[in-house]
Amino acid sequence: METPVSTEASIESGIPVEIGRIDKELGKLWESSGDTKTRASLINLVVYTENEAALAADNEVLASVAGRHPCRAILILGNPSAPVAQAKAWISAHCHLLGKDTRQICSEQITFRLDGDAANALPNIVFSHLDSDLPLCLWWKADFPEPLDEKLWGWVDRLIFDSSSWRNPHHQFSIIRHISSPGKSAAVLCDLNWTRLHAWRFALASQFDNASAFPHLSSVESLSLRCAPGFRISALLLLGWLAGRLKWRLDAKNETFIAANDRVVPFHIEEIPGPNLSLISIKSPDARFELKLAEGSDFFESTIQTPGIPEIRQILPAPRGRLEDTLLAELSRAGRHALYTESLEVILPLLTH
Amino acid sequence: MPTDILRSNPLREGLAQRSIPDPCTLVIFGATGDLTHRKLVPALYNLAADGALPPAISVVGFARRDKSDEVFRTELEEAARKFSRQGINDDLWKNFASNICYHRSEFDKIEGYEALAHRLDEMDATRGTGGNRLFYLAAGPDQFEVILENLRKSGLNKARAGSWSRIIVEKPFGTDLPSAKRLNDLVENAFDESETFRIDHYLGKETAQNIIVLRFANALFEAMWNSRYIDHVQITASEPLGVEGRAGYYEKSGALRDMVQNHLLQLLCLTAMEPPAGLDADSIRDEKVKVLRSLRPLTGNDVFKHVVRAQYGAGAINGKRVAAYRDELNVNPESVTETYVAMELNVDNWRWAGVPFFIRVGKRLPKAGTEIAVHFKSVPPVLFRATGESIDDNVLVIRIQPDEGISLRMSAKMPGSSLRIEPVKMDFHYGTSFGKATPEAYERLLLDAMSGDATLFARRDEVEQAWKFVDAIHEAWTTRTDDLALYSSGSWGPGEADELIKRHESAWRRL
Repeated sequence: METPVSTEASIESGIPVEIGRIDKELGKLWESSGDTKTRASLINLVVYTENEAALAADNEVLASVAGRHPCRAILILGNPSAPVAQAKAWISAHCHLLGKDTRQICSEQITFRLDGDAANALPNIVFSHLDSDLPLCLWWKADFPEPLDEKLWGWVDRLIFDSSSWRNPHHQFSIIRHISSPGKSAAVLCDLNWTRLHAWRFALASQFDNASAFPHLSSVESLSLRCAPGFRISALLLLGWLAGRLKWRLDAKNETFIAANDRVVPFHIEEIPGPNLSLISIKSPDARFELKLAEGSDFFESTIQTPGIPEIRQILPAPRGRLEDTLLAELSRAGRHALYTESLEVILPLLTH
Repeated sequence: MPTDILRSNPLREGLAQRSIPDPCTLVIFGATGDLTHRKLVPALYNLAADGALPPAISVVGFARRDKSDEVFRTELEEAARKFSRQGINDDLWKNFASNICYHRSEFDKIEGYEALAHRLDEMDATRGTGGNRLFYLAAGPDQFEVILENLRKSGLNKARAGSWSRIIVEKPFGTDLPSAKRLNDLVENAFDESETFRIDHYLGKETAQNIIVLRFANALFEAMWNSRYIDHVQITASEPLGVEGRAGYYEKSGALRDMVQNHLLQLLCLTAMEPPAGLDADSIRDEKVKVLRSLRPLTGNDVFKHVVRAQYGAGAINGKRVAAYRDELNVNPESVTETYVAMELNVDNWRWAGVPFFIRVGKRLPKAGTEIAVHFKSVPPVLFRATGESIDDNVLVIRIQPDEGISLRMSAKMPGSSLRIEPVKMDFHYGTSFGKATPEAYERLLLDAMSGDATLFARRDEVEQAWKFVDAIHEAWTTRTDDLALYSSGSWGPGEADELIKRHESAWRRL
């Protein structure tokens, strides 16, 4: 349940404050809310966007995320091309009832609008408003700029982005590789496109936990995937993961993989309207493994056909479609995503096609 | 075979680290009982909803009542809708329920087990469960012996090559040391210790598991976790409920055997144990057993000096009048069964020399709560003596249930020109910080048993050592009854318990 502390709504979605008085005004906000509200924070979640039209949606996502993963949220709308330099700020709080209790758990949000040259003050704006000692998660909702501001990237603990929204993934990935190269940044790369694949990877892995299925993993002879138009990169990332795990090489020219003993493993990606990813089918000479996701469903249909055992059908949890669910899934996960870069390396040559 | 091969599944790497259960058939003895409906099936459903169950799993309910698979599934669905921590999705339930069937048999009829063996073989062939069997003793403890014996006679206890056969035993693990040994012998006749999983559901709770993390992953606490800095420890398990229709069982057990022998001593072990050599089951259980062996035995007159037993009288809970224990249905009007126990324990080892552990457990207390409170020693009363201010000791509280979390009490200066010192509390709530619902203890424990991980289960020597300690107290109690104190329902227990801790110049925490 969302309980706005302020009734004033605008970017606005908060109380306008002078940038130099943000901490004091936040303090007042909590003092005025009495004992029934508890401020909680696990991370600093900074969101940078240049899309003003999506600001209301971003606010909703942050409110939803704060309810389940308390944070200090800093939403920054950058408009570097604005003719006049100016910086404005608003504060607000997202409160949720704690179970059946009457107490409310609240997270605070600071929203900035940085126009023109003020957008260059981004690192300072971020650094001066972080909740101390808490990790910094930066969700970058724009194309990565060049050159990168090392001052900012060097402090980021988790860098969140969504490669499925990139128009030029090859170029953007090359920037990502630069950020993550040794000595540049210790930030954990968190591609929401990869996060969405977690449920796919988990379900595929569990298909091969079955003792009768496991041996077929070494004799895969073809792969078919189905994705929505524009989401080929999601299908490729899943393929990259599978290929990386099974030690296959990519033959980019022929768009096939080469397994041990030079066995060719062709793959086919079909783009048809529906969920971002809706099917992966793995065939070996005498077995078939399929994961299917219907439009709007929260569950995969898993099918395993292996010799000597009747077909095994299972329902498994699929990724939730909403952006806040994906973001929450990412924030709940600790550690680095070592296999992400491995998978990315496998498919990079295909991204130029 | 499956476990080793499955752990080498290359697709598993990098995915969330949790137990990977093997395909198996779970056979629940006592499948029509409360435990199955309230805990086991909702836990299994939640695991299915999280995608944590293996692709091939079957659940067989074994009980005496006559009913069809369909009726059994419908009853379980109703229970799951009522007790599951997450809502029931119809499609998922349908898929999950298709793995459930019912097997009617008397517990003492070998034919029922032979038919079960035949049925399980068929299921292995048709469902790919690979011959792995997990038997769950959810029936009354009076049935354990006959079930174990028939499992052995029918050969169900022995797995085929490459498969496994395991048993989960619910508490109580006996009623005293001889009966526990006898039960353990019976289990051991049929199953190896490595195949035996004794459930103490407290160990499956997130906060109980967090004790090890709190202690050994935070330099701040571990450095001070000893007699040099700690004054005493209080472990409390209180509940406002009375005997609630369990008089038959409770009259024979009482609070000492119902709660202290298992849950409270387990919490004490986690609090007092030395760092284990590793996080594997035996390393942790080895350390817990050492704590139990270090407990200073309480025998003879020492029992009456260090242990207080009491029984609730009439009183009020949440504003409602409630009856005295002796007036409850099926309770002997002259019963001397204790519904409250408070005791002072000493762990005689290097780390804890001179640090008493105060334990109290009771029914019909004002509120429900289980917690471990570590009271640190006072600072030297030098610096602030002149101000006349008294300084409260630091207390670290680990709340096991409800409202799982950790709080730390410390002293702070009150704002103002004069020097006034007040206790303040730093509080961490699991629910606040980690908004997602924590899994039920049974989810974790079932998954671990399917995966063969016994870390959160009690080992034979732990159980027997705990009984040995508790039996000595019980034996002393049989010599007299005049020490049984009375307390009003809705109070925090008898005055005698207050006196017990007062001797240490301390007082029970108010929860």
